[in-house]
Amino acid sequence: MTIIHNRSLDDINDTTPVLGGNAITRAFSGGSLTRLIGMLLLILILGFLTIYPLSMLLYGSLHSTPPGMAGEFNLNGYRSIMTTQNLIVLVNTVGISLAKTIPSLTIAVFLAWIVARTDTPFRGTLEVLITLPFFIPPILTAMAWGMLANPQVGVINMAWRWLTGAQDPLINIYSYGGVIWHMCQYSIPFLFLFMVDAFRAMDPSLEESSRMCGASRWTTFRKITLLLMLPVLTSSFMLSFIKGIETFESALFFGLPAGIKVITTDIYEAINHRATPDYQYATSLSFAIMGLMFLLVIAQWAILRGKSFQTVTGKGFRPNVMELGPWRWVTFAVCVLFFLVTVVLPVGQLLLGSFFRFFGFYTYDMLTLEHYRAVFSNSEFWRAVRNTMMLGLLGATATMALGAVVAYISVRTKWRGRSLIDGMAWLPWMMPGMVLGVGFLWAFAMLPGPIPIYGTIWALLLAYIALGTPVAVRVMTGSYHQLSYDLEECSRVHGASWLQTLWRILVALAWPAFAVGWVLTFFGIMRELSASILLYSVGSETLAVVLLKLWANGNAEQVSVIGLMMMLLVILFRWVQLRFIKARISKL
Amino acid sequence: MASVTLENVTRMYGAITAVDHVNLKIKSGEFVTLLGPSGCGKTTTLRMVAGLEKNTGGRISIGDNVVSDADKGYFVPSERRRLGMVFQSYAIWPHMTVFDNVAYPLRIRRRPDKEIQDRVMNALRLVEMEQYAERPSPALSGGQQQRVAIARALVFEPEVLLLDEPLSNLDARLRTQMGDEFRQLQQRLKITALYVTHDQSEAMALSDRVVVMHGGKILQVGAPEDIYRRPENRQVAAFFGTPNLLDAKVRDCRPNGGQYYKLDVEGQGWSGECHAASEMPKGADVTVMVRPENLQIRETGTVNGGLSWSGEISQAIFRGPHRSIMVKTPAQTLHVETPSLADVGIGRPVTVAAPSDAAWAVRN
Repeated sequence: MTIIHNRSLDDINDTTPVLGGNAITRAFSGGSLTRLIGMLLLILILGFLTIYPLSMLLYGSLHSTPPGMAGEFNLNGYRSIMTTQNLIVLVNTVGISLAKTIPSLTIAVFLAWIVARTDTPFRGTLEVLITLPFFIPPILTAMAWGMLANPQVGVINMAWRWLTGAQDPLINIYSYGGVIWHMCQYSIPFLFLFMVDAFRAMDPSLEESSRMCGASRWTTFRKITLLLMLPVLTSSFMLSFIKGIETFESALFFGLPAGIKVITTDIYEAINHRATPDYQYATSLSFAIMGLMFLLVIAQWAILRGKSFQTVTGKGFRPNVMELGPWRWVTFAVCVLFFLVTVVLPVGQLLLGSFFRFFGFYTYDMLTLEHYRAVFSNSEFWRAVRNTMMLGLLGATATMALGAVVAYISVRTKWRGRSLIDGMAWLPWMMPGMVLGVGFLWAFAMLPGPIPIYGTIWALLLAYIALGTPVAVRVMTGSYHQLSYDLEECSRVHGASWLQTLWRILVALAWPAFAVGWVLTFFGIMRELSASILLYSVGSETLAVVLLKLWANGNAEQVSVIGLMMMLLVILFRWVQLRFIKARISKL
Repeated sequence: MASVTLENVTRMYGAITAVDHVNLKIKSGEFVTLLGPSGCGKTTTLRMVAGLEKNTGGRISIGDNVVSDADKGYFVPSERRRLGMVFQSYAIWPHMTVFDNVAYPLRIRRRPDKEIQDRVMNALRLVEMEQYAERPSPALSGGQQQRVAIARALVFEPEVLLLDEPLSNLDARLRTQMGDEFRQLQQRLKITALYVTHDQSEAMALSDRVVVMHGGKILQVGAPEDIYRRPENRQVAAFFGTPNLLDAKVRDCRPNGGQYYKLDVEGQGWSGECHAASEMPKGADVTVMVRPENLQIRETGTVNGGLSWSGEISQAIFRGPHRSIMVKTPAQTLHVETPSLADVGIGRPVTVAAPSDAAWAVRN
């Protein structure tokens, strides 16, 4: 604001301005009791969702008995996790995560380059296809791959034996390779999503000037493009590595049968697979893994500090697209192959498995619809569908609403306490679902009697909201940052109140981000397994839990049917998202 | 240094013709500017010379070497054309220091370290940036980035220097200063330069010759003064500033003794003398261009020689250095620029006059 000096008194209005607007607008625009209460309420909610389970985790790790029972405090939990065996688990966890991150990153860079910077045909469609695996619940592909690459009865190995006459299986999914392969299927599309816009948004003249300086295409790629991408690559690497340590499904399905343990499956086993659940051990281990995550996040910050190059200048770019000539069909084939292997193959297996009496015996007389009948007449299935849909709808809405409010306060206001709520909302980022599940297990059990959350569907809902909040805040923060203050200020100047402005300008402009975040959170809830498996009880099973139980009972055929239903849901939601929300965003 | 020759150069984007049979020869050491509104094909032309875009028709040569011949399918990629280029966004690589940015073309050509050190520092001295050599490049201001971009373009002594609106991201004062410095540098090094801009005054101040483009075609090529004072057609005339364009008929035509012709023209309610490039038949329809700064306001009465209109002042705007005055005449409203000291009264009847050599006629 400019200050006008030497202004004569005549220029100033004769009348003294009076406070305008109603009580609510005043309350939110100035400091007042209402705002204070609002902030306190928010801090209370976030505290319950993040700080409380975290401190209960510490409490539980020092407590000798399972949640809700009298016991004493000791360090036995921490003593019991300090074993050579657990050192191997730790090495396994870190090693597997590294082993999946490096090839995933390489492939994702290649795919992002193909889609963003070459003239490969049908790039738009390919982009949708490449990112699709990310939205499929990992439990589905895990089960499908369990059927596809089972060393005895897997389709791939049967085909291999039939083709070559060999006795040994071609691939065994129950191995380190299997665990890593399954993780890669999620990491690649995730990293692709993370990087493709960075590739697209780069100022093409940065590369063109290198060519003008006499550098060939390849030299330019090495010396300019890659180095400019280095900050994005580093942050992608760290993110993917952290996610790898949190992963549960891959290690559960393909690691445990082969005796490969990682931290998340170790926690799971200590609670669910021992004769007497060892809560103190599991909780101590959870707290220890949080420590590891904390170190990783600190490392991420240290590495990335001040390392982001602003390569986007906001000028209208001509897309700098490389003409590949006939090679563009090779790059096209690479993308299609990725889609075939990560989506078509597993979904095809589910389809195949759902129509035969026993999986592994694919002959004509084994064709049947009985699994569909069994699933559709199973009340437990319908209950799980209802639970999942309700948790998804409620959870996604609540998470995004919370995220939108937290992001607004931390980005758009100067209110005291905004960094506190921002920090609290970010805490679950360091907590793998399994760890948060253990924390909530303690948290709900320790609640005073009249609040019966433990063992109900609300326990799951609260855990999902906590897990989803960091992403929700991030999505909304990004969206608010893009909207300039002028838009809001202009609205105020033209006579709209604070609330009107919030509604008519900010919400109107930020809702596509809200919708994107909502769909992401919904998918997140639908695929969530690690916290659910700890917090569900009879009556509050989700689809993922039902699937796991059926799988454990050896009912792979019904698993296929339910898997297909979930797959349909995924495709439907993804289609809605792309069709309506993306279209709306591009218009803005 | 080398010349640049464009022969029938054409660029199609699907069915849209962005550049349409452009013929142009840039002499060695000459500073030529491509000027036109956005979308006129000037940047595409420059990028085709750079090799960043392929011409779909015609031939481009640099010096004695053909670098692109669409009919023969011959194309030399950018990196082998030995050109220097300054981009609109400067394209300073943010992950390198100033020194590394300028050293890049030499390092790519694997010159020895000693030579790189010397030549980079020389280039930086040329643009007065030697004390910034070790700065990380994101820490530079717009003007400094531009200097670094020029140093990088000059460091390996390119055959031709290409500049794509290099001054458009600078503020007005810096733009003039950098433009002047740049022209001096070009004349000292005697480097061939092809410059793209949409700014008329920039084009006139910098260039030996200006190429006015519109709709992918060249409208006129000539020295800045020719283009400004003696346009070949109405479009070029209208492109510079806000000239008064009057419809008129030729009454008489004779050579003026020099290379031009003197015309007697008659318009609606006015008549007088003006100049034209070619002989015109009696009765031909022409457009007479008179620039506002060449018009004078006088008391009512007759004027001998040149052109005159009688009318009354309808509007006067004080602009600081001068005053814009609108005079309503039977033919049309004339735009006159007078010194800002002159006193005006709205509604006053006046005569507007111009000497015959300030009026230029083109055929419709």
